[in-house]
Amino acid sequence: MSGAAIHLSGVRATYSNSTRPAIDAIDLDVQPGEFIALVGPSGCGKSTLLRTINRLVPIEAGRIEFDGTDIAGLDPVAMRRTIGYAIQAVGLFAHMDVAANVGVVPSLLGWDRAAIDARVDEMLELARLDPRQYRHRRPHELSGGEAQRVGVARALAARPRALLMDEPFGALDAIVRRELQHELHDIVRGAGTTTLFVTHDVNESLLLADRIAVMNAGRIEQCATPLEVLADPANEHVRDLFADDAAVAKLRERAKHG
Amino acid sequence: MSYLFAHPLHVAALGAAHLALVATALAAALAIALPLGLVLARREHASNLVLGVLGAIYTIPSLALLAVLVELIGLGSAPIFVALVAYAQFVLVRNVIAGVRGVDPAQRDAALGMGMSAVQRTWRVIVPQALPVVVGGVRVAAVAMVALATLGGYVGAGGLGSLIFIGFTIHHTDEIVAGSVAACALAIAIDGSLRLLERLVRVN
Amino acid sequence: MTISRARALALLASLPIATACTARNAIAVGSKNFTESIVIAEIYAQALERAGLPVERRLNLGSTQIALAAMARGDIDLYPEYTGTALIDVLHHAPIRDARASYDYVRDEFKRRYDLVWLTPSPMNDSQGLATTAAIAARYHLRTLSQLALAAPRLRLATIPEFISRPDGLPGLQRVYGGFRFKSVHVYDIALKYQALLTGNADVATAFTTDGAIVVDRLVVLEDDKHLWPAYNVAPVVRAATLAREPRIARVLDEISPRINDERARMMNAAVESRDRDPADVAADFLKGAA
Repeated sequence: MSGAAIHLSGVRATYSNSTRPAIDAIDLDVQPGEFIALVGPSGCGKSTLLRTINRLVPIEAGRIEFDGTDIAGLDPVAMRRTIGYAIQAVGLFAHMDVAANVGVVPSLLGWDRAAIDARVDEMLELARLDPRQYRHRRPHELSGGEAQRVGVARALAARPRALLMDEPFGALDAIVRRELQHELHDIVRGAGTTTLFVTHDVNESLLLADRIAVMNAGRIEQCATPLEVLADPANEHVRDLFADDAAVAKLRERAKHG
Repeated sequence: MSYLFAHPLHVAALGAAHLALVATALAAALAIALPLGLVLARREHASNLVLGVLGAIYTIPSLALLAVLVELIGLGSAPIFVALVAYAQFVLVRNVIAGVRGVDPAQRDAALGMGMSAVQRTWRVIVPQALPVVVGGVRVAAVAMVALATLGGYVGAGGLGSLIFIGFTIHHTDEIVAGSVAACALAIAIDGSLRLLERLVRVN
Repeated sequence: MTISRARALALLASLPIATACTARNAIAVGSKNFTESIVIAEIYAQALERAGLPVERRLNLGSTQIALAAMARGDIDLYPEYTGTALIDVLHHAPIRDARASYDYVRDEFKRRYDLVWLTPSPMNDSQGLATTAAIAARYHLRTLSQLALAAPRLRLATIPEFISRPDGLPGLQRVYGGFRFKSVHVYDIALKYQALLTGNADVATAFTTDGAIVVDRLVVLEDDKHLWPAYNVAPVVRAATLAREPRIARVLDEISPRINDERARMMNAAVESRDRDPADVAADFLKGAA
């Protein structure tokens, strides 16, 4: 099953305790199976944008389509069960063991016990966690990296058509982060899951994304491939975001020279 | 003390009646406090207001409240039952609110984002994690209620309080001591069992 | 929750309601909050039980007002009351010297006004009074209430809440004897009224003439020389509805009441308060024919 297409046009959202919109005039076309990274400084609205797609944040203007259907007409609870959701703090349910956590959405969807158990094992292995060792562990017994692996396994357990991730690796140390980045890349590539990935780490976006949507003050400044964003930044905001990094400079050079 | 040994069955029967009174009042109190706390947990201003009112009720001298209730309802277990339920609210509601608010916001967000309905999130995530704090509140309330229920003996509600008050009337310290010791023992037993329950529902 | 568990819970929850219902068929015997009332109520209760009637005890309820309120509400079906108390405190009538006339009046009025029935009274007369220690009686030359009326400004009174307000209490004393302006008046719970006197915190205490303490502590009860206080004979007062439902109550208690006299009353009170005996045991002994 291939990933869903997600389409945003003219989307605007404002938080109730503010007068200025958090995001405005958002147009974004995500192709099935595409990996889009949302980057930008704090407060630019990247998390907000992500959360409009699974309707955790309501929109006041514009339209969001999930596989061609306006999501405003869908039951939000049912829709969320078809979209994987992984956040920085992971949010593993502390009173459930790892297996129960991973199996939450399949259980909400009414899968039978055997199917859930099989899928849990499958997802734990995919996340490089030995099921026999980890099934019955409690969240507080896991390291940061292990917890996030379980989080990813949980997000993908019900075979979602799309995956929303909000800085999932932000709290992890560099080595663990690097491992998880590569593994995630392989997993979602293999499954063809459409992925939207919020990050403040521009290197991460360069590594993982098919296209990068650079945001600033609630708007998308540019949405293009890593190469295009580096070689041909739309404005100074975009350029400055990718500016201070030797590796990036090198990439930029490579891009310029073909 | 000799009364206790001379009439163990009678004291036990009074103790059972006392326990029944406390248990039913506790159940009724929870039936009010749980939904009230769940609703108030999301509302800062309303919860401050309601807790303020409940706290004020809590400071009303119990004998005074009981006297008013006897005027309204009559003698027997009814007025003390109402008083127990009213006094328990402050502790219970406060603990339900604390328990619910103490639930990790990341887990709340994840639950909703993953596709739990509000009801499912309440019962599958929030309640299990709020439970230890709530049980802690139940424990405190229950022990206080054992003491408070002795006032029932003053208004014809039976229980261990009636032993204490009759002892007082007929100048028998034995009965007073027996009633007090039994009430103490009951309170300790309840405290112990609820501590055990607290440990059982602990999340980690 | 399985169905069987839910059913068990429902059964458990209905138990208090069930017991309350069955208990309502029982005759609820009440008493006021002093030893004699409790003992006499126990006598009534045990007599009824021996006759095969189901009885529920609600003893130690409180003052006269509380007992009557309980009767009105049906919380209790019968309790022991005193003719003098009913006449002066409840019906607000002037004292009637003749004990029989007093009883008749009270019986008729209670039936008429409250639908409550007075059964056969006991010869026992638990009159109100003021008591003091032999030492204080000697020091101030106190033998009668007239003498006490004049000596009051030098004396501290220990009394109970009812006494301050009831017409045949302190107000009655002041009206009939004049004087009776005590140096201080302290109100105590009925169970403590002699303690203040005996520990030297008071000089005079409200008394009831059949109190066991009078005998045990050798107190002096001052003579009511101007006859403020009428007879206070105890009798069972029953709700008319209860009596109609269960006429045996009258037969059983009418047989018992004539046997309660001053002597027996004082000794039963003393047994409970000073010899630590259980009111139920003392009542049982009385019914068995022993003292």
